[in-house]
Formats: sequence, C-alpha cells, structure tokens
Amino acid sequence: MKLEELSKHNGQNGEKAYVAYKGKVYDVTNSKRWQNGVHMARHRAGEDLTDFLALAPHTDEVLKSFEVVDTLEIDESKTQSSKETLIKFYQKFHPHPVLIHYPLGLFFFAALMQLLFLLTSLSSFELSAIYAFFVATIMAIPAISAGFLSWWINYDKQTTKIFKNKITFSIILVLIGITGIVIRVTNPDISSTNSLAFIIYNVLIFANLPIVLFIAYEGGKITWA
Amino acid sequence: MDYTLEELEEMKQIILIAIPKEISARDFYLNASKKFKTQESIQLFLSLAEQEKGHEASLRKILKDIEENIIKIKNSK
Ligand code: HEM
Ligand code: HEM
Repeated sequence: MKLEELSKHNGQNGEKAYVAYKGKVYDVTNSKRWQNGVHMARHRAGEDLTDFLALAPHTDEVLKSFEVVDTLEIDESKTQSSKETLIKFYQKFHPHPVLIHYPLGLFFFAALMQLLFLLTSLSSFELSAIYAFFVATIMAIPAISAGFLSWWINYDKQTTKIFKNKITFSIILVLIGITGIVIRVTNPDISSTNSLAFIIYNVLIFANLPIVLFIAYEGGKITWA
Repeated sequence: MDYTLEELEEMKQIILIAIPKEISARDFYLNASKKFKTQESIQLFLSLAEQEKGHEASLRKILKDIEENIIKIKNSK
C-alpha cells in the first residue's frame, strides 16, 4: 500500500492500527501497547516508523510476533534522495563559511585603510582602501550565492527571522559597495576635495563594516547557537 | 496548543536550524564506523548514526506540526 492508504489505518475510530517498518506493513491492532493506535504517548499508527526504532528501548524483535499485512510502496517522486546528495556535497565542501572570509576581511581592511588615510592624508592608504573595498564587494557575491545555496539545500528556503535579516542586509551590503565604487571611479580625485560626495563616500566605506559583521553574527547563530 | 505566532515562528527557526546538525552528526558516526574492523565497534557507530536519523525524523515531524499551527493561526486572522 502507499503511505496515503497507510495513514488511514491509524487505529482510531475502529480503524485497524498498521505501522510500517523497513518496507513492511505490520498489523499491531491487538497490541496493548498500541491502543487507539498510540504507542508510548509518542508514536502513532498509520505512519512509516522505520527511522524512529533506533530511539526505542527495544529492537525490531518486538515486531516479529505481528502479522505482515502488506508492503509499503514508496512514491519515488517524494523521496529526498537527490536532495540528500546535495546536502552531503554541501557538508563536504561548505562553500559559504569558506567564501565569507573575503568580504569580512576586506571590508574591515578597507575601513582600516580609509581611517589611516583620514588620519595621515597619505594617498597610498586611500588607494588601498578603494582596492580593498572593490574586491570585498566583488567577493561578497560568491559568498552570498553560497549562502543562498545552503539556505536552499539545508534549510528549505524557509524565511525565518535570521534568514530575512541575512538576505536584506546582504542586498544592502552589495548596493552600498556598488554605490561606493561608482562614486570613487567617477570622481577619481574625490579625496582631495571636501565635497558632499567625499563625505558620502566615507560613510559608505565605514557603513559596510558593521553591516557585514551583523550578517556574520546572524550566520553564527545558525551554526553555533 | 496555545502558542502565539511569534513563539511558533521562533520554535520553527530553532527546529529548522537543528535538522542539518542531526544530519551531520549522522554522517560523522557513519564515517567513524568505516574506520573500524571489528563488528562490535562498527555496530556501535552504526547504532549511534541510526539514533541521529531518528532525531532528524522527530524534528521533521515537529517542524510539520509547527507549520500547520502557523497556517492555522494565519488563517484565523
Ligand atoms: C522512542 C520510542 C519508543 C518507546 C519509548 C517504546 C517503548 C516500548 C515499550 C516499553 C515496549 C514494551 C516492552 C518491550 O517489549 O520491550 C514496546 C513494545 C513494542 N514497541 Fe515500542 N517503543 C518505541 C518505539 C517504537 C517504534 C518506532 C515501533 C515500531 C516500528 C515500536 C513497536 C513496538 C511493538 C510492536 C511492541 C510490542 C508490543 C506488544 O508486544 O504488544 N516501538 N515499546
Ligand atoms: C556577505 C554576506 C554574508 C556573510 C559575511 C555571511 C557570514 C556568515 C557567517 C560568519 C556564518 C557562520 C559560519 C560558521 O559559523 O561556520 C554564516 C552562516 C550561514 N549563512 Fe551567511 N553570510 C552572508 C550572507 C548570507 C546569505 C545571503 C545567506 C542566505 C540566505 C546566508 C546563509 C547562511 C547559512 C545557511 C549559514 C549556516 C552555515 C552554512 O549553511 O554554511 N548567508 N554566514
């Protein structure tokens, strides 16, 4: 029988109590331990319980005295096997935690160089800042893509609070990065002026540091909290 | 169950995050089981791996329950 039919035999309202284990369907209707289809207040008849037996205080020996009434047909379209390969792939190479070091390190480095420029007025610091900011923004894109990949593979694209935060601020991060680069490239000697554009440019360079730290902090909650 | 929507969303996030941890714990034990030759040690790690599979299955069941409750609350609004 299929899972759908199995679920009708849940032992309630006079229905029979069937449980599936490793492809076989057992009739446990007459067991004291399965009255009304409920076992130890935690398992219900009408389900495939294969994965749960390892948590029981007994082995599958207990099923031996019950009649096998059918085999369980697995609906191939609903199996997770392709997803499982992806999860294994992801857990082996974990691209997101690898790639995030580039934007994290480089946005920090860019802000540090810009700070040194503001303190010393040495133009080599200013150049270092925009180079680092440029590479940080570029490298944020593969890092973010890997984040989306993991979100899709491991977390079923569920929009919980952490993921909403990470996605929203990742978009802001990239937009700030692009805006900063455009301002700097279209005004090459912006730093020798005291224009509004120069102030905005500085705000953008420094703003991405707390933003990237916040996104990373939210990420740490996923793996460590 | 008498949870608020916020509580349910928070519970959902916790369960969601826990599932990959069980999957990687299972892989950890499966890999460990490959390092041994005696039936006893192999069996030990395989059984630990099976328990993680059970945890994953339990979490998926809880996640489904929570999602159904969230939909119920959203529909009753
Ligand atoms: C963590 C969950 C479980 C707990 C705490 C639990 C507990 C128990 C206990 C205390 C007994 C009676 C003592 C014994 O025979 O060893 C029992 C019997 C049994 N259990 Fe479980 N069990 C669990 C999960 C399962 C699962 C997943 C299945 C089905 C695949 C299952 C099927 C049975 C059957 C068929 C019996 C024999 C009932 C009888 O002889 O009338 N149990 N269980
Ligand atoms: C540049 C932007 C981002 C940075 C700097 C960042 C940073 C981080 C950090 C530091 C962790 C913790 C890693 C660890 O503890 O090993 C993490 C985990 C995670 N992040 Fe991000 N993140 C970013 C964007 C995103 C985006 C857009 C998503 C997808 C929606 C995402 C999804 C995840 C997931 C699912 C994890 C859990 C670990 C994993 O599955 O690999 N991240 N992130």
